[in-house]
Amino acid sequence: MRLLPLAFTLLAATVLGLGVTWFAVSGSRGLDVVRSGPWEGWPRAGTVKADPYARAALARSGELPIELADGLLFLAGTDDAGRPIDGRCVTRISGVLPQARLWTLTLMDSDGRLIPNDAGRYGLTSAEAVYTDQGAIDVRLSPRARSGNWLPTGARSRVKVVLRLYDAPFSFASGAGDAMPLPHIVQEGCP
Amino acid sequence: MSGMDAIRDRRTDAGPLRRRLGGLLARIARWPAGLLLSAAVAVVLAGIAHIISILAMPALAERNAYARLSELAESNMMVMLPDPTPQEAVLPMTDPAFISAVCLYDLSQRPVKVRVPATSDYTSVSFYTAEGLAFYALSDQAAGAVIELDLMTAAQKAALPEDEEITAADRLVIVSPSVEGVVMVRAFVRERGMRAGVRKQLEAAGCGQAS
Repeated sequence: MRLLPLAFTLLAATVLGLGVTWFAVSGSRGLDVVRSGPWEGWPRAGTVKADPYARAALARSGELPIELADGLLFLAGTDDAGRPIDGRCVTRISGVLPQARLWTLTLMDSDGRLIPNDAGRYGLTSAEAVYTDQGAIDVRLSPRARSGNWLPTGARSRVKVVLRLYDAPFSFASGAGDAMPLPHIVQEGCP
Repeated sequence: MSGMDAIRDRRTDAGPLRRRLGGLLARIARWPAGLLLSAAVAVVLAGIAHIISILAMPALAERNAYARLSELAESNMMVMLPDPTPQEAVLPMTDPAFISAVCLYDLSQRPVKVRVPATSDYTSVSFYTAEGLAFYALSDQAAGAVIELDLMTAAQKAALPEDEEITAADRLVIVSPSVEGVVMVRAFVRERGMRAGVRKQLEAAGCGQAS
């Protein structure tokens, strides 16, 4: 008679434990998050010191993370106000980027795929971007073509922005991401 | 009296979340002892199941980067990866501004030599274990015009003859923590029109067993 409660306890424990694991590996890329505004980075995921959560998440997704000596990756799924980035709206990314040999800014859908468009324009690089007089970038994400630094969103309801800084000096000693200011992401208007 | 007021004040200050949590705890405290014990055991076991599954995932994941790459590359050979498109990418989160080549290395017999020519722009070589752990990377700026290196296990490095020290000075030796893994070469394409040219330059990259 005591067997049934025991079996139920074991089942509940397994479901709960694996559920938390699934949630952890699909929602995060490791415990060592560096935050700067809406941007999140996991510099230690690209080193041998990657924590177990980062290793599990990367093994599951099948991604090879950028080695820290090669570069740094930052992801943003929301704007500065915390709203998800809506591809049907115009979103502006502006500000000065940290020192790096080169950078790329890429748009992805919520599943991590590139966004199809006629121009074959999946991202912007430091070589193509037009800079302001102050050396800052000013990029518009929008469903319709624009002049200047423009990235097509394909009118997806949710998009993610990936910023990769290559050959960028980064030290853990300098502390959290507050030491590394990244561009602002502001929603400008929805049709 | 004033003390009581203070307590009452603090209670009203506490958010609804805390009140709900307190209610939940009070309700749990009224559960029969047997149920309480089962719940405690379940939480502890869930924690253990969670930790074990997280730690085991790199070894158990079937569609990790190494498995995905094995579908189009043989070991100890440099293979160019197709450019990622919205429809498909060999590896998720590949930077579309780069052209990549990979070599799945196998050090079980002997060390592997990797040679990457300079392309017209930023070129980097990164090393990963078969489980996807990044353990080393260098770029063209750190290495000079041609990146040439010897990849070996710690045992193979220890077995290098002493007099090789002179030759080792101009050769970069990289110790791999695993017998199998991935060498990833990435070359930046500055302008869209240069894609074909950079791809051709990267095709000269090589990876193979040392003689």
